[in-house]
Amino acid sequence: MTAHAIAVDGLLAATALSCWAGALGMIRMKDAYQALHYLGVPAIVGMGALTVAVFLATGWTQASWKCAIILVILIASNSVGTHAAARAFREREKDHWEPLPEDKEIEFVEGRPR
Amino acid sequence: MLTATVTSASLLPCAWACLRGTPERRLVGLEMTGIIVTILLVLLTVARQRLPFIDMPLTLALLTFGAGLVFARFLEKHL
Repeated sequence: MTAHAIAVDGLLAATALSCWAGALGMIRMKDAYQALHYLGVPAIVGMGALTVAVFLATGWTQASWKCAIILVILIASNSVGTHAAARAFREREKDHWEPLPEDKEIEFVEGRPR
Repeated sequence: MLTATVTSASLLPCAWACLRGTPERRLVGLEMTGIIVTILLVLLTVARQRLPFIDMPLTLALLTFGAGLVFARFLEKHL
């Protein structure tokens, strides 16, 4: 087994592990806000490792570059989607998403949220 | 192919999250499912040597993003 094959297999294993870590972490968390954080594990670590593995396995092909584009899309969309989802959860829970003085969980100093 | 099989099994916890719990948890499960299926399609494309099919996960990544935003918007106001 060559070093090249070991590297590809290791990266593929990292991809599978990150998907499992993300899925199990999402299940184990207490509330939806905490579970949202686990979306980043497969999106960034998993897809990142897979992109490197595809580059190593197939070279500088069109498929490799499209893999890199998918990685960029997942990184960008994951951050935006997570923020949108968290904002929706808060809006649903409190009817507003901005920090207000009557919110008990937010400490205000000189009229501004700390 | 082994990686694709192991990764596809990680959809079971996502299905669990989508099928039970609060609507918020279900939305998180749906978003996680979209990411894992995108990775799975890339794995299958490379494993089966059908490289032109790489457009499918690319399209899915874009559509999942839009779908997540729409679901979040509906969850915020209407559901």
